[in-house]
Amino acid sequence: MKSRDEAFEALFKSEYARVAGIANRVLADSHEAEDVAQEVFINFHRLHSANAQFAPAWLHRAAAHTALNRLRGRRRREKRELAQAPGEAERTVDPQRMLEVNEDRRLVRAALARLAPKPAAVLVLRASGLSYAEVGQALGVGTGQIGTMLRRAEAALRKEVTRGTSL
Amino acid sequence: MFDDPDALTGSDRRHYVDCAGCQARYSGMADDARAVATLLAAPELRLDVASALKRVEAAPAAKPRFGFSLPILSPASRPMFAGLAAAAVLVALVVTAFAEILPLFQPKTVEPVPVTVADLQSLSALSDYGTLTWTEKPTPQIVLSAADAQNVAAGMHAPAVTYLPSTVSSTVTYAAMPKAEAVFTFDAAKAADAAAKTGKPLPTLPAGIDGAKLTVKVGPAIIEVFGNLKQSSSANASSNDINLPQLVIARSSAPVVSSTQVSAQELENYILSLPGISPGLASAVRAIKDPSTTLLVPVPVEYASSSKVKVKGVDGVALGDNTGLGAAVIWINGDVFVVAGSVSQIDVLKIAEGLTV
Repeated sequence: MKSRDEAFEALFKSEYARVAGIANRVLADSHEAEDVAQEVFINFHRLHSANAQFAPAWLHRAAAHTALNRLRGRRRREKRELAQAPGEAERTVDPQRMLEVNEDRRLVRAALARLAPKPAAVLVLRASGLSYAEVGQALGVGTGQIGTMLRRAEAALRKEVTRGTSL
Repeated sequence: MFDDPDALTGSDRRHYVDCAGCQARYSGMADDARAVATLLAAPELRLDVASALKRVEAAPAAKPRFGFSLPILSPASRPMFAGLAAAAVLVALVVTAFAEILPLFQPKTVEPVPVTVADLQSLSALSDYGTLTWTEKPTPQIVLSAADAQNVAAGMHAPAVTYLPSTVSSTVTYAAMPKAEAVFTFDAAKAADAAAKTGKPLPTLPAGIDGAKLTVKVGPAIIEVFGNLKQSSSANASSNDINLPQLVIARSSAPVVSSTQVSAQELENYILSLPGISPGLASAVRAIKDPSTTLLVPVPVEYASSSKVKVKGVDGVALGDNTGLGAAVIWINGDVFVVAGSVSQIDVLKIAEGLTV
């Protein structure tokens, strides 16, 4: 059995990229994704042993939920700021292509933030490369249900994105 | 199905080849999946894992609400709980050392002894004098019910409350621990090393004490924690969400200590000769009438006041006051009982009187 510190270091090295990747998939912002990943690991370290069998599943789930919570908070903040300072968003000076990419990402993340927590988590975990079994472990559902959940979540996200662009 | 080809069985595939409806549905799902994969594309991550690890390791420890946390709630802190248990054994050793009759110490009553922070610091140096080895490690567990707690604690009944103040939640979390046993072996060489490292000369161990063993048995024990504690097992919770317990009720078998080759008088004289032990503590310890059956309750004089009370007809020690900030009572009625919480001393005593075991 490794010491507590050694076990945590090993867990961190094996899972950090994946946890940050999940957060990045949600937030589309590498700095914020790393913030989330570190917050998740700090919380894990305070609460659980790195030798725990559930450690990777806990981290994946926490990464998805923490990032989705931030995304929803960001949406609320953006709405508030837009309401307070109309037109400010348009004053950003960026190359045209960057503007388009950023706008697409913003619309998609806004749609993701409107989904129910579980479908949103299924989508980002799978899109981050987790297997069906890993997604199932992270969310506490049977592997057999993941395919159906994923299909429904994908359809829901497409619908939300379409709704967002037509508003 | 689209991104997991193994999800289709052979018979599904054969059906799919001839079914236009299924092909259309599959096509729609595949479109969704491809579109979502594109939509969820994210900027590339460039990670410096080593630096990130350093930042996480340097993060300050959680600051629990009210400056207090309940260590038994988190699996990660079980080693800490074992550490606390070790500290409890050390205290039991100190208590034993004050007892005049060895090799057996089994407390039947309690007595407050005023101590200062300096006294406690001096007593903690005792751990430098030997090695503590668990022959049966303490294995505290969180359980779901009083019945489960009883099973873990070798049949000990969980105390049931008949009176609870309205400010205390009736939500109970049970923890239980089977019997644990530790052996403390005095080691003259270790003591000399420790003294050399600190640079503080410590009194020489009495002759013949090197290698002497004290066996301490603690538990089984049951702890009931009242309050709406947020269990932090879910990934959404943070350690800051753990609330202060409103009330804790504990029941434990009285500690039993036996020893080889060391006389209690030698130990008592030695401990009371440690630098930093106040004359007040020394005289209070020497004034205990029957130390072999008396559990000393250390009362830090700077922080708490104590009084002798009667609980269910036996002597007890009450700590705290009636402000509601915190009060506790400890008594021995076969087993050791403790009721403590952020309630008034009057309420603590009423809860204690109302316990059925």
